Parts: sequence; C-alpha cells; structure tokens
Amino acid sequence: MNRRVRELSERFGIPREAFDRLAAVEDQETVFVGTPEVMEFDAVRPMRRGIRLARVYPYSLKPTTFGMQVLGGQATRNVIDVSDEQAKLLINGGALSTDVEADNGFVLIRWRGFVVGVGFYKRPVLKSQIPRFRPVE
Amino acid sequence: MQKSELRTRRLDNMTTHSRVFPEAFVERYSRFIPDFDAFLDAMQRPLRRTFRVNTLKATRQQALDLLTDLKPEPLPWYELGFSLNQGEGLGKRIEHFIGLIYVQEAASMAPPLVLQPLPGERVLDIAAAPGSKTTEMSAMMLNTGIIISNDPSPTRVRGLIGNVDRAGCLNVAVCRMDGTSLGRAVAGTCDRVLVDAPCSSEGTIRKSVKALERWSVTAIERFPSIQKRLILAGYHALKPGGLMVYSTCTVAPEENESVVAHLLKRQPEAEVRAAGLPSLIMRPGLREWGRESFPDAVGRCRRILPQDNDTEPFFLALIRRPA
Repeated sequence: MNRRVRELSERFGIPREAFDRLAAVEDQETVFVGTPEVMEFDAVRPMRRGIRLARVYPYSLKPTTFGMQVLGGQATRNVIDVSDEQAKLLINGGALSTDVEADNGFVLIRWRGFVVGVGFYKRPVLKSQIPRFRPVE
Repeated sequence: MQKSELRTRRLDNMTTHSRVFPEAFVERYSRFIPDFDAFLDAMQRPLRRTFRVNTLKATRQQALDLLTDLKPEPLPWYELGFSLNQGEGLGKRIEHFIGLIYVQEAASMAPPLVLQPLPGERVLDIAAAPGSKTTEMSAMMLNTGIIISNDPSPTRVRGLIGNVDRAGCLNVAVCRMDGTSLGRAVAGTCDRVLVDAPCSSEGTIRKSVKALERWSVTAIERFPSIQKRLILAGYHALKPGGLMVYSTCTVAPEENESVVAHLLKRQPEAEVRAAGLPSLIMRPGLREWGRESFPDAVGRCRRILPQDNDTEPFFLALIRRPA
C-alpha cells in the first residue's frame, strides 16, 4: 500500500481493504487513486488518471473532498456528522462551532451517512475545505 | 374522417407548426418521420427533468429515500432513471453535489445501456464531454477496468473532469486529444467503444428555443465529416469481437444513417446489430435519404423519437467488429 494512502487510512480508520483493488500514484505533490488499469494505461498520456486523493504539503497530507466522498464511506475516526443545515453551510464554504470527539486537523464531514467532503477541525471550530461550485440550497 | 379532410387537417397543422419551426425543417422531416404532427407537438413541449441514480455512491433506495419530496417517477425502461414533474433546483441539492444523482436527459441514458460495458473491460468514450455517459458506464462497470474518456476541447474537458470527480469514477483516464489520433493510439485494444458524436443537436430544441433559432441545413452540413472520421476511429479501436455504439441527439439522416453507411462502405465486414431496450420504443433506421440508398443493414439502426417516449430524439447504431 502506498504510504500516503496508508496515512489516510490510519487517520480516518478506513479499512485497508477499501484500497485493495486500487492503485495510487504521486505526481507533482498530488496523490491520485484509480484502478490498476487506469494507472498503467500508457498508450497515450492522459490529462488525468482516476481521482485526486490528496495533496502533499511539507508537513501534512490534505485529503480531497472528491477522493473522500468515494473512499471515505467506511471511515470510523475523525468523522463529524452534521445536520441538513450544517451540511449546506459547510458546502457553501462556511464554518461552524461544534465540540465533538475528533482530533484537530483534517476531518471528514458526514451527512445522513454520506461523506460530503473534508473539513479542518480546531476545537471547537469546524471550517469547510470543500471546493465551492454552485451554491447548495 | 375522409382522406381529403385528413389532408386538409394535416396541412392546417403544418401551417401552425411552420410558425414555430423553419419551413425547411418541416419540409425535410415530414418526408420520413412517422406521426409527424405528434413529432412536432412533442418537440415543442419542454422536456421533463430526468436524473439517474449513481450507484458508485448510493443504492437506488438510498437515493430515493432522500428525494421523496420530489416524487420521482421511474423511467419504464431503466430502473436507475427517474423523471420529475417539478425538477427546479435539482442541481442545487446536496444529493447532486455529492454525486448520488446525475442530472441527465432520459434518451441520453440509452447508448450505454445498449453498449452494455462489463466490469474489467477496456472502453473508449471518444467524444465524452460533459461525461454523462462515461459516468453511467463507470457505474455499470462497478468502478473496475478502464474507460478512456476523451474530448478535444479544453473547456469541455474541464467539465468532464468535474463530473468524473463528482461521480466518484476511479476507472476513468481523461484524455484531451483529437479522436482520430486517439483511435489510432489504442487501435485493436478496446472491448467496447462509444462514439457519441458531436452533432447539430436538433434534439436540444426541447431544452431551448435557441437551438431552433440556430437550426439550418448549413449547420447540419458541418458535422458529417467529423462524424465519419470518428466512427472509423472508434471502429479501428475495437478488438476483434468488440462492440461499438454510434449515437447522436439529432434527426438529420446525414449525421446518422449516412455515417453508418460510410463505415460499412469502408469496412464492409462491420456488422450492424439490431439494438433494443425493453419498454423503450425505437423505430428502424432509414433505408434511403435524398438520392442516397443505404445498405439493408442500416435499417437495423434505431431512432428514438420524442413522441414515443417523451424524450429528446436520439439515434443509435450497435456495431460489431467480427472476431
């Protein structure tokens, strides 16, 4: 298992089996994850292989919202459950105050059982790290 | 009703429609579209909002449980497709943002269903943006194997990547290349190929009147040359025994049957198979247009007409490269 993937798997308690049939590659400080066939495809040079899983910074690894939406479903640690209104607020780039059992640092924001994206938690403030597209109402 | 009365009524209807549709449009398509008045009526009705449940993110039931307030009605021919009477704001819902659903026109869901990509296969989607069919095939393949999803336009490819991300497709390699060059680069290696060709998009008239304002025979004439190159490129990308779907959302025979006939002329061994989906009404392809007669096999192409299933018009051809 790729060490970056292991790091994410440990922080969020995602079972390693979730990554069993996947391959990860690191390219220009970004970790991509996809099927082995996608990662090995070399007939041409694709613009993108699979999904961006994380961004590598000198002292941290920042998981991506889209990567975690698809692979964070089985997470057991550092997950913060939110209500409908809180989910909308965070998706629209807001922050909220909440005192929950989670380590400071990157967390997964879960709404009705689905990971909606990544947040940054510094007790008691949860700040959205979700990319902003069109507003959610 | 007597024959003469029927004719007068038909002419009256055509006059009414002529106020909406260009005369050349009515003249061209009344020549071969069955139930032509019903066709024109349907083309003037706004499309119902439709969506597909993305099983890479949620089960059908999970998505339906979250959307009960919208009262989705299942499409009769696709268990993951739904229509809404009031679909306003669907794209602003959390369910859409996190990719549990994908807003997609109903007929546009058909080409992947006819192609039937299987888990673990190598699939080429040669003109993929904005990614509706790539993401649909990704779910059909259970996020395994590989879809080489291509679009040459820098702007459109950004939208394609955004949709692949939102839908959670781990089995997609996105390329931005000329389709002909890509077809050559992967020649003989693909189990299935989708050529959802760029077209004059007459089907989108139901989405926007502007499409009708842009309509002209000259606009149609811009597309067949690229369509012919793409269908050949797609065919060359197939493994022996592989399957290809050629599709457009347009009615013009020059962009449909003529393109398939061009493939058959260049690759006479190619087999056109009759495509069908239970409960989706499809009509056979034309056997002639203008001064052009098409081979018998072209009759096995399929036309989806708006009056039959309350969708956009669509054209489909299922083609096999012999083993």
